[in-house]
Amino acid sequence: MKRTRTLMVAGSAAALFVVAPRSLQQAQAPAFEVEMLWPKPMPNRWILGSATGLAIDSRDHVFVLNHGANFNARTEIGADQTPPGGECCKAAPSVLEYDADGNLVAHWGGPGEGYQWPQTPTALAIDPAGNVWIGGGGGSDSHILKFSKDGKYLATIGKPATPGTAAPVPVDTAYGGAGRGGAGRGRAGGDSAGGGRAGGGRGRGGRGGGAPALPANSASKDAFGGPAGISFDPDGKHAYIADGTRNHRVAVVDVATGAITSYWGAYGSQPDDAPSAAYNPDAPPSKQFSAVTCAVPSKDGMIYVCDRGNDRIQVFKKDGSFVKEKVISPKTLAPGSVADIAFSRDAAQKYLYVADGMNNRVWILDRVSLNVLTSFGDGGRIPGEFFALHNVATDSKGNLYTTEDLQGKRVQKFTFKGVGAIPAKPKAVLWPGSGK
Amino acid sequence: MTRKNLLIGSTFAVLIGGLAIGQRALQGEQDTVQAPRFEVDPMWPKPLPNHWVLGNVIGVGVDDRDHVFIVHRQDTADQMSTNDASGLKMPAECCTVAPPVIEFDPDGNVVAAWGGPPADGKYVWPSSNHGITIDNKGNVWIGGNGSPPATDSHILKFTHDGKFLMQIGKPGVMPNSNDTTHFGRVAKISFDFKANEAFIADGYGNKRVAVLDMDTGRIKRFWGAYGNVPSDSNYGGYNPDAPLIPQFRNPVHCAEPSNDGFVYVCDRPNDRLQIFTKDGKFVKEKQYFPRTLGDGSVWDITFSKDPAQKYMFMADGKNEHVYVIDRQSLEILTMFGDGGRQPGQWFAVHSIAADSKGNIFTTETYEGKRLQKFVYKGIGTVARNQGVVWPKR
Repeated sequence: MKRTRTLMVAGSAAALFVVAPRSLQQAQAPAFEVEMLWPKPMPNRWILGSATGLAIDSRDHVFVLNHGANFNARTEIGADQTPPGGECCKAAPSVLEYDADGNLVAHWGGPGEGYQWPQTPTALAIDPAGNVWIGGGGGSDSHILKFSKDGKYLATIGKPATPGTAAPVPVDTAYGGAGRGGAGRGRAGGDSAGGGRAGGGRGRGGRGGGAPALPANSASKDAFGGPAGISFDPDGKHAYIADGTRNHRVAVVDVATGAITSYWGAYGSQPDDAPSAAYNPDAPPSKQFSAVTCAVPSKDGMIYVCDRGNDRIQVFKKDGSFVKEKVISPKTLAPGSVADIAFSRDAAQKYLYVADGMNNRVWILDRVSLNVLTSFGDGGRIPGEFFALHNVATDSKGNLYTTEDLQGKRVQKFTFKGVGAIPAKPKAVLWPGSGK
Repeated sequence: MTRKNLLIGSTFAVLIGGLAIGQRALQGEQDTVQAPRFEVDPMWPKPLPNHWVLGNVIGVGVDDRDHVFIVHRQDTADQMSTNDASGLKMPAECCTVAPPVIEFDPDGNVVAAWGGPPADGKYVWPSSNHGITIDNKGNVWIGGNGSPPATDSHILKFTHDGKFLMQIGKPGVMPNSNDTTHFGRVAKISFDFKANEAFIADGYGNKRVAVLDMDTGRIKRFWGAYGNVPSDSNYGGYNPDAPLIPQFRNPVHCAEPSNDGFVYVCDRPNDRLQIFTKDGKFVKEKQYFPRTLGDGSVWDITFSKDPAQKYMFMADGKNEHVYVIDRQSLEILTMFGDGGRQPGQWFAVHSIAADSKGNIFTTETYEGKRLQKFVYKGIGTVARNQGVVWPKR
């Protein structure tokens, strides 16, 4: 039944294309320009770690979650060492709040009394009441923390695992960078006097231990398996958890009680905890999720799920019944092309933005048809380029924000420049003036 | 010369001592000074073509047309960009590794890219290329710090568009600071055009400055710290509380001849700059941020473009600053920059060069992997620590 529906939707989309040839579509899409100088530099010689969580509050303040698992202690956070190796730099606090102008207005987070900070903080969301929810994709992260917007601890949702029972594997080990392409990789030339040991040290909250990640349990009603994405119903009654790094499901949480009320796997099936096979573009689509990294409700009652490892978006009704799916850049191997999703801020949420951390671009889709309209971004380290793009979010003005994981370690802002005709040759790097 | 410097030094001290208020202000960050001013140009260079990404950008040089050359390490581009976890080529759309040498025009456009092992085997590309400089004939010199067994004990010279001209020394020779035909993992090559001599920061294996004939490549002379005969003895790691050692530590990271006949040498892990006459007589030294451990504070220098070379700009890739230094007194006038990944910030600022207009270019190694331009804004009043120098809006 679900299958039929997909086919139908796909069929009507195809029909639409037949009726309206490409040249007559006058394809339109939102246009953006990167803000070259946003946010403003941080004080205290702080340096941003891998940025893995992003949310915008009702005042258009930008909340960024970052962690130190990919810091190179010797070369990057030398001032945090004992004795300090130099004056630069110090790991920034975990949660950073910027105002719309890019000023850092608050910072908090990290281990504290009465709660268990995630091994690898990986998700940050703000509920309609203004509270901040934080999840983690580490090997034993099984819970979600709820704070007031200024960082007062409020609640733990899901049962935390006993600390130290598993290695705090960064959620994005699959990116290949953590541990391999990271700053610390020793190499022949090196830049240190000895050459070889260019890395070594671990940042705050870094990897440690050798224990394997905890087993998945996608049928659990009281714990998560590396929750990697959190989103809320517009009415704030339910949270949709991309669960996640170890589990293969979407879990629905009653915001008032913190209880897991329902869950489902790919195509709305019962989730299966068998390890995901390596993605193979030539194989039939997997019947299970692989690395669920977002589950975002739209105003019209659909849930858009990032099945990152399978390069696809799956769309569900709120009861978990499958509606349709869309594969993005299907040749993309692990960790996959669909890392995060945000919607445009018009009433109809006409456009859907996909953060693709492997191809380092933002895809712009028509939300309803899921047709790809255009994309922007490229790999690199200058403004408007990405490395390990991880999150995407929009503010009330339609501006788009991104975070970069691993060695990307940035937050960037793209100013909304209105909806217009898609250029024949869209620019990859959206510098001011590049659209002309 | 030493006397003269001492004199200048003591005059300076008296002046400061006499002005108690001035002295107090000097220690704070509110004090200001007259010095060359810079602003980062966040739109330079332009995005690279062909989905190219960079590895460690390990050298920068400017030619007489103000074209900017960089050399980067291809094997340090993030594997995520090019390979999957099992080492297979990524079919993904991003990205490919740029050729090792890239030439930019003054507007920041890529105008040429070349380098890497030759098909005909006529020369050996360094196993870890390091440093790039352009001489007065437009030729490009490249060193390398590859370690055994693929030891870079040679230097390469190319035309500006990458045609091979000369290989000086053979690769694969173990470092020996008294070797008269090979080098020990060269960091950078600089020039005294009048004397037709190249000054080699030698390097990551050797602990010396070597001077070459630019045409024949013959090593004419060399020396160690304080002008001593260089020694390869192991002095262990740098300890800020121990006496200064009589030799350089690896790497010797720059050896820059000035117009007035001196050579400024970056003794990086010792946090010190040593100054010599061009025939290797020690003149003076100064330590910068001597508590800096590990990589050290004195990474690279370049001089201001006025005939007197009044100022010197020093890259400190550990503390993530560029210091604007009065070349005669060696005192830091002001500093700018900070650690980070936004324009005007650095992660491991490694190399520095200036163009004819006085603009400064920096490159970043490790996970910085960038080339940045800082536009010269004339001499003006600046704070002692300017932080990140963004354009005024």
